[in-house]
Amino acid sequence: MSAGDVAQISERRRSARAEASGLGRRLASLEVVICCGSGGVGKTTVSAALGLAIAAAEDKRVLVLTVDPARRLATALGIQGIGAEPVRIPKARLRRAGLTITGEVEAAMLDMKQAWDRMIERYSPDPATARRILRNPLYQRITDSFVGSHEYAAIEALYELHDAREYDCIVVDTPPSRNALDFLEAPTRLTDYVGSRLLSMLSGGPSRFGFRAMNYAATPFLRLADRLLGAEVLAQVSDFVQQLQLLYDGIQARARSVYRLLRSPQTGFVVVTTLEPGPFEEAEFFCAKLHEFKMPLRAMVVNRVLPDVFRDPGGVAAATTLVEDPKVTAWLSNALHIRASADTARFIGTTFLNRNTLAQREARQLVKLGKLGEVPVARLPLFSEEVSELDGLVRIAKAL
Amino acid sequence: MSSPAGTPQRSWRSSTAVRRAIAGERIELATLLARRVIFVAGKGGTGRSTMTAALALIGARAGKRVLAIDVDAKGDLAAALGSPPAGFAPRVVQHNLSVLELRTDESFQEYLHIYFKVPRVTRLTPLARIFDFIATGVPGPRDMLVVGKIAYEERRKDAESSPVWDLILVDCAAGGQVESHLAAPKAMLTLVKGGLIRAQVEWIDSLIRDSRRTTVVLCALPEEMPVIEAIELNDRLRKRSGVAVDLCLLNRAVDVPVTTAHRRLMAALIDPEHAEEVARRLGGSPGPLEAGIDLQAHLYDTTARYMRQLRGKLPMPVVPVPFIVDRTGLTTTRAVAEALRGSLA
Repeated sequence: MSAGDVAQISERRRSARAEASGLGRRLASLEVVICCGSGGVGKTTVSAALGLAIAAAEDKRVLVLTVDPARRLATALGIQGIGAEPVRIPKARLRRAGLTITGEVEAAMLDMKQAWDRMIERYSPDPATARRILRNPLYQRITDSFVGSHEYAAIEALYELHDAREYDCIVVDTPPSRNALDFLEAPTRLTDYVGSRLLSMLSGGPSRFGFRAMNYAATPFLRLADRLLGAEVLAQVSDFVQQLQLLYDGIQARARSVYRLLRSPQTGFVVVTTLEPGPFEEAEFFCAKLHEFKMPLRAMVVNRVLPDVFRDPGGVAAATTLVEDPKVTAWLSNALHIRASADTARFIGTTFLNRNTLAQREARQLVKLGKLGEVPVARLPLFSEEVSELDGLVRIAKAL
Repeated sequence: MSSPAGTPQRSWRSSTAVRRAIAGERIELATLLARRVIFVAGKGGTGRSTMTAALALIGARAGKRVLAIDVDAKGDLAAALGSPPAGFAPRVVQHNLSVLELRTDESFQEYLHIYFKVPRVTRLTPLARIFDFIATGVPGPRDMLVVGKIAYEERRKDAESSPVWDLILVDCAAGGQVESHLAAPKAMLTLVKGGLIRAQVEWIDSLIRDSRRTTVVLCALPEEMPVIEAIELNDRLRKRSGVAVDLCLLNRAVDVPVTTAHRRLMAALIDPEHAEEVARRLGGSPGPLEAGIDLQAHLYDTTARYMRQLRGKLPMPVVPVPFIVDRTGLTTTRAVAEALRGSLA
């Protein structure tokens, strides 16, 4: 980009910062910050930047818990791999990148499989039950494909980390999911799942209170299932289900505590979105749901916003002339002593007008967004977030 | 960004490096449309529904009887075809083009009805829920419903016993779900040793692995994660399900470069010496226009970088689809179809 343009954009960045008036400071009093939003909006990057911003604002020990960071972001954060120990981001590196933090920031990537295994171990009444479940071939399938299983693992890990009190503040990047709501509903869904009547039926009775051999002929449902899948599979399912039900009480109790944590005043949700129609609609929906669930929305971060320069009326007028006035090329050649084709002039005009169309739409969306909640809205300019180095992240942290 | 009417479209093929990269590996549109089933897959937000709908429009215009299937049932595909949400029964959207949305409940009922002669009843929900539960834990059944329904539509014959559909386009659910759909028959075959299901699964499996009849089209965006996911999805699909992957569409590609001629004119426009004169003639200051040129150049470079990455890693044609700026729904789909026809023909 040209020097003039960079100057313009950085000027705009400064005003964006003033508008958000230090998101880091505003969130620094929280113990848990949950970033949510539709997939592909730059949630992970924003979570990491928020972590930095919080540690820059106050002397806090911050953990950024990511789920599946883009490789370059992982490199920027210094994360070695899934499930590895949290990595401290050296203050010296941050200083070189232009950010002085008073607190400390660590980053870790969540290992879903490990989180589930630990959960099974924790809730099993005895080690034998845990072993039996972990060894069941269906177990891995279930944890992989159960709706909300990743979300649940993330919440569990968050709860444990919060409980351990090693960090003042944990910033969580929620798993990419089709529906951001899965995160909020995950604990209930797991409880319902494990405690469901269906499950009792499949395991041949109220197996939580005792084992009973499965009688396939007992119900038409099971007869049909038997015909569909074969007895072997059903027996596997039945065994798994019986074991799983032994965990019910533990899981139910934990779900209650998790909801308490999610609703507590020490927790804050940050909705991250772009202004594209799809993600934006999901953000609107999510804000409404947070309200309904009585979970506290603290801020919104709008990513990839086109700079205001694309809504400049003078620019629009000039661009329109370049596109529509057939005589303009001749005039330009004459007045500017330059050989310019009509195509070249039209290209310059069209390029601007296309962005103007998008910028207008974004402006309308921003107005709508402002009405969603009485919370600060931080704007991040387009392209700041393809982060490959720490200084990219620092730039965003500062913009926040 | 869309290339406005009248602007010559400088395509990727104009660059020598790119020309070399795709030499001899373009897919003919006719070849693609000659398939019976095309799965369109990619990360959420990559424009999968729009691409599916665009391919459906192209197929219908080529005289094929097309069925577009939405696996996600969010209504996106129907919307991209300018239709209200469809149901489980195919809804005619226009001449030669119908759309249907898959839902577990209804899929299950139909499955039971077709294959096990279980009468259709309104309240099968508890049964479907049990099924849902088992399907969560056992590889295959749920995915089998999806591919089973698709295979069933593929095999459906009309009164004159010719196929009801020439081409079936499937808008797959986001993320890796397409993998489990396509790998399901294989998984089922290892699980089900005999009986009623086995024969059905075998022919579904043969349909999926037949590269003349079935293929996958990948969708990506010029961004890091969607590109990585497309590359990884291709690897896994080939390894796990043996399905052919024939084409990758890079959506929102900015494929018109900023040339020195553009730069020269831009510099002249904002030359302080002529500033007042130019602003008067154009009706406004051209200063902001430079931001447009800068952004265009940046987006072009970004697109080029990801095109190179995709072309280096994917053994198939990677075709850029321009960003359609100012339209929605069916109009966007039509514009995308137009662009695709141009790049693929």
